[in-house]
Amino acid sequence: MVAFLMNRLGPQIICFVFGLVLFAVYFSAHPVARQINTTVLVDYWQIIFAFTLIIGVISFVNLSVHDIKRGHNRFYRFISLFGLVIMPVFAVIWGIKGDSPFMWMFDNVQVPMQSTVFSLLAFFVASASYRGFRARSLPATVLLVAALLTLISRSSLEGALPSFIAGTADWVRGNPSMAARRAILIGIGLGSLTTSLRVLLGIERTWLGGEK
Amino acid sequence: MIKLESRHWIFLGLFVLVVGAMVLNISFDIAVTDETQRLYNLIDSLPEGSTLIISFDHEASSLPEIRPLALVVLRHTFSKNIKLIGTALLAEGTGVGYQLMNMVAKEYGKQYGIDYVYLGFKPQYIAAILSMGESIPETFPEDYLGKPVAQLPLLHNVKNYDDIAGVISIADGSLTTHWIEYGASRYGVRVSAAVTAAMMTTYDPYLASGQLYAMIGGLRGAAEYERLINRGGAGKRGMLAQTVSHIYVICLIVVGNIVYFRAKRKKRSNS
Repeated sequence: MVAFLMNRLGPQIICFVFGLVLFAVYFSAHPVARQINTTVLVDYWQIIFAFTLIIGVISFVNLSVHDIKRGHNRFYRFISLFGLVIMPVFAVIWGIKGDSPFMWMFDNVQVPMQSTVFSLLAFFVASASYRGFRARSLPATVLLVAALLTLISRSSLEGALPSFIAGTADWVRGNPSMAARRAILIGIGLGSLTTSLRVLLGIERTWLGGEK
Repeated sequence: MIKLESRHWIFLGLFVLVVGAMVLNISFDIAVTDETQRLYNLIDSLPEGSTLIISFDHEASSLPEIRPLALVVLRHTFSKNIKLIGTALLAEGTGVGYQLMNMVAKEYGKQYGIDYVYLGFKPQYIAAILSMGESIPETFPEDYLGKPVAQLPLLHNVKNYDDIAGVISIADGSLTTHWIEYGASRYGVRVSAAVTAAMMTTYDPYLASGQLYAMIGGLRGAAEYERLINRGGAGKRGMLAQTVSHIYVICLIVVGNIVYFRAKRKKRSNS
């Protein structure tokens, strides 16, 4: 009975009450409601975030140590752990502003590395466009034509080519592409609403530990 | 000796073309699109002394595309004597935003605390957007440098979004969506965006419905904006590399399809 209260009923009641209160507070213009809203947003969410950060760090360290023990990607794991330790050390000792070592590492190590990895996409796209972008069927041909139009319209060539190309590219973006995007957004919205209601009303209980 | 495969030649071709284009420094004339013009008109129409929030909602990986966008927006706003409040809803954008704001502020002789402030990073972006709608000083009791907001003259008359002319989210992901869904829908603040080219179609529905007021996207957007403010920059230079690589990809698609159909025809004639 106690276990049921602690593991099932208790969390469900807390979830329902908080969900209902925050829902009401979100739409209420009453000063008390606004103050509760601010307190929850400024204080409570930040405390939760701090805990998620701790969980994330512990989980990453565990995973790295586990891999080091097994000899998997040992070098990369050491580098990751070194980065994980050294950046907070820099931040605590010299701060994170202006000319601090933390910002030096950010500007000269993190930014170039991340930009490099991101820019590699251009090479993979070029290779994939040669090997995979084939007019094998009607839908594939439509996709291919749309891609060609978009590539042209997002370059500087637009002015040198007939205006119908840019017009068609804009039409593709403004009609079929946007219609598909809207359908996805509406689907996400309805899905989020349904899931939220199911969680609040206790119909969806997998978050409590796997039981449906 | 490493044996080069077709993909290696493709990589090499792209590298040579992009480097060559950057070295040659050819410039193209770029037409300004309506969406870029709209953001320009918005900033241009704001009275002097208006306050805007510029939010650096991006990661370090997209900096080559984000930086030119951020610079044109900052240059235009500072040149119009608009006061700026800088924030970041992604940790990696924090340092970048601070450096860019300081750099452009120096170009225009702007004074920290009076003409612009930088509030820095706030975790939990949805909570940050919502709580700024209630109270900006309570959400950010101190600025990025650790100075209490009471010591920043710019913020003396700023309580929440009611005192702000708009928000410009400089983003490489979906964070602008949260500004629209929570900032614009709940508190009615006017949200505009400067986003990477890949994210533009994501925001098209919001732009068409008016929930997103204006948007510039990618290097093309930056190049268009540079033209509007009569100032060259990384957008225009980047467009050259982008144009060359787009032409290269188009050629690869065409050649790939010719190879495919020839092989298909050969297979059919053999059987």
